[in-house]
Amino acid sequence: MKVGLFIPCYINQLYPQVGIATLELLEKLGVTVYYPQGQTCCGQPLGNSGYEEDSKGACQVFVENFKEYDYIVGPSGSCIYHVKHHFDILEQTPDVIKVRNNAYEMCEFIVKVLGITDVGASFPHKVGLHKSCHGLRGLKLGSCSERMDPYYSTEEELLNQVKGLELMPLTRKDECCGFGGTFSVFEEAISVKMGKDRIHDHLDSGVEVITGADHSCLMHMEGLINRNKQPLKVMHIAEILNTSM
Amino acid sequence: MSHAKQAEIFNKNEAKVNWHDKALWYVREKRDNSAHNVKGWEHLRDSASGIKAHVLSNLDEYLIQFEQNALQNGIKVHWASDAEEHNTIIHEILKDHKAEKVVKSKSMLTEECHLNPYLEEKGIEVIDTDLGERIVQLAKEPPSHIVLPAIHKTKEEVDVLFQEHLGTKASQGDPEYLTNAARKHLRGKFLNADVAITGVNFAVADTGGFVVCTNEGNADMGAHLAKVHIACMGIEKIIPKEGHLGIFLRLLARSATGQPITTYSSHFNKPTEGKEIHIVIVDNGRTEQLSREDFRASLHCIRCGACMNTCPIYRRSGGHSYDATIPGPIGSILSPGKDLKKHSSLPFASTLCGSCSNVCPVKINIHEQLYKWRQIIVKEQPQPVVKKSILKMTGTVFSKPGLYSFIGKSARFALKYAPKSLIYSKLNAWGKARDLPEVKNENFDDWYKKRSKNNG
Amino acid sequence: MGREAILKSIKNNKPDLLSIPEIDVTQFTEEVNLIEVFKNNVNLVGGNIKEVDPQDIDVEIKKMYPNAEKIVSVADECSLGTVQISGKTDPHELNSIDLAIIKGSLGVAENGAVWISENEIVVRALPFITNDLVIVLPKDQLYLHLLHAYEIIGKRERRFGLFLSGPSKTADIEQCLVIGAQGAISLTVILI
Repeated sequence: MKVGLFIPCYINQLYPQVGIATLELLEKLGVTVYYPQGQTCCGQPLGNSGYEEDSKGACQVFVENFKEYDYIVGPSGSCIYHVKHHFDILEQTPDVIKVRNNAYEMCEFIVKVLGITDVGASFPHKVGLHKSCHGLRGLKLGSCSERMDPYYSTEEELLNQVKGLELMPLTRKDECCGFGGTFSVFEEAISVKMGKDRIHDHLDSGVEVITGADHSCLMHMEGLINRNKQPLKVMHIAEILNTSM
Repeated sequence: MSHAKQAEIFNKNEAKVNWHDKALWYVREKRDNSAHNVKGWEHLRDSASGIKAHVLSNLDEYLIQFEQNALQNGIKVHWASDAEEHNTIIHEILKDHKAEKVVKSKSMLTEECHLNPYLEEKGIEVIDTDLGERIVQLAKEPPSHIVLPAIHKTKEEVDVLFQEHLGTKASQGDPEYLTNAARKHLRGKFLNADVAITGVNFAVADTGGFVVCTNEGNADMGAHLAKVHIACMGIEKIIPKEGHLGIFLRLLARSATGQPITTYSSHFNKPTEGKEIHIVIVDNGRTEQLSREDFRASLHCIRCGACMNTCPIYRRSGGHSYDATIPGPIGSILSPGKDLKKHSSLPFASTLCGSCSNVCPVKINIHEQLYKWRQIIVKEQPQPVVKKSILKMTGTVFSKPGLYSFIGKSARFALKYAPKSLIYSKLNAWGKARDLPEVKNENFDDWYKKRSKNNG
Repeated sequence: MGREAILKSIKNNKPDLLSIPEIDVTQFTEEVNLIEVFKNNVNLVGGNIKEVDPQDIDVEIKKMYPNAEKIVSVADECSLGTVQISGKTDPHELNSIDLAIIKGSLGVAENGAVWISENEIVVRALPFITNDLVIVLPKDQLYLHLLHAYEIIGKRERRFGLFLSGPSKTADIEQCLVIGAQGAISLTVILI
């Protein structure tokens, strides 16, 4: 099994610790991980802003980097969603199709492909799970509150096995945090209000650490938490799962 | 004004935003509970979506069939290509009957055609009889929601409005008192109306009949008392068979308000002896939307409003921020098809979270259509120079790994060492209410290279 | 005017014919006590419901609406009517009616709705314009959901008919539910 590690641009530049945790965690679980050099971006910020055409170069770079891997694993639901869903703008060559089919969000890879839910982590804290929209409704990492399907959650399956971790129930289980890429800048007022409301839900539920499988949402909420000096920590799920006993 | 600007203004009063958000979230929760009580809910949605897609692929034939059956039943059928024709047809009918007083039940189509101001200019009194619609009519405002037209108004505001227009006493916004006052006021209007205008929820091809749903009974009060009933429908309201109502009526009210069915679902097939029923079938841009493969499914819409109730942006910006007849997510995919320039900010008023598509009873892929409109708008509408050049440059950077690596390093350097006053300047919308991430000494690439060297 | 233009435009713009989906009604089937579910839902939508022996109908209605004077009864089982109506009655004259008693054809368990056809109400405005409304419904005419109900009413002569579920209501002022908007302000279903 040849696994290529996809580290999204903003994680590479701003949150290297998330990339590190992802790599270490996968290795801990016995996976040989390759990290192709020369990664840039999946093109999502461009596509979501209406500049899909201008993202073709980035998408092509992505395909070139990852075409030889059986699995492409990344710690960001929205980027993976973009690869799977929006790479339809490229000519559908066998390479492109392969890359789209083999791209996995990290939690999904661990649970579905590796078949592991207990990664041997320990994290004795009260944790609130932020289900990112692209991971949840796009990649279907869990059942959505709007749909009448049987309940499941890939991230919860993993977190429930973490020693000492207490998963706190939220009032609005899967409402959007308001990041939305360039939405966070061009619809600043609403974006900030949505983020504040999400954070309040976590605070009201006694959460100490907010986690999730998409660091862009977490970056947005962390920005608000830090500005408002709120008693909450933000960690990517890979960081929690990578803690050891 | 763009949606973002309007939303910013709405957000100046945070308490009101919270109130608006909670009121609509409550409706969304009622919808969830109600849907949970239906075995096979997702199969219902699949069926409804499939029926609608089928109808659009055979719409001309179904309209002809509908017309034939309606005519046979003694209903008069009119066709209008656009809003102007629609309004003229209605005015002609009113003139034929020397009608001066009209009662109208909720119809988003007549809002879309701006029928009220048109008729009022001709000296005709038009009274909206749905309570919410009457409230916004008295306030001289457009509805802010397609099912809950006055959801943006507090009960205290309604209280003041009714004191002014209906002569009520101050009641601190007692909903029961105010509703009762409106009932008396509207009863008089119903009894004196010459013509009743209603919308159409569903038009049935194989019977030529149509269904109108209200909770208040206002459509029926109007239609059964007046001599003439005019029902206005968009071409997409057609369903093939009466039995299909068994699918759509199970979905409509549950999605809209969480009720198991609307209080009154009235099936009109033939006029009462001595009275007239007219149907006006309207295009007004719908056939054009039908031609757009990516956006065609927006015509599935049955106007339940569920996408508005669930939309985290709608709940926090209010319906008026969309400046469109149909606000919210569904409006944001319908409106650009009518006037791309005017509505070009709407597809961007979304995080693409996808909740709208999930609640939609006819499974319109709303968030995917928002994404697609964005691509068109950027191509066809002039974009702010800064936004455009930044994003175009980003595209180039991401396509060249060497350049990206260089830029990434410089940007992190700048973020780390530039003065805070520069980073948090007015130009930086991110930093107005949020801190920027703390910049580490190395990025993941650097760390990985170092590790490989050490291990190597 | 627009007819030919609209039809032509549709012809040019519509996609290739898509088949109509098969509806798997078994997906909606549930083993429930129809009477119990129906009763619960009538209550849920703001109506009253009573199981009554046919010979006690008049007594029961009198008990519930002691002050009603102008009463229209078009249900054979009830003899409380004080105002006679016919197909020729001007509906405006019914504005002062206190109570109408009508017959329902069938009830739908899933939503508490009753199907009422024009034949049963004589004047279309009656169930809306009356102050209070009583529907007499045979309890062997209950169906699980709307799909079943449409199979039954599909055989009728189509003029006017409606599914009526509870009294007239609105929540247009701050989402506060108020019973009695423009139509009947109370509804009682009498199951016989």
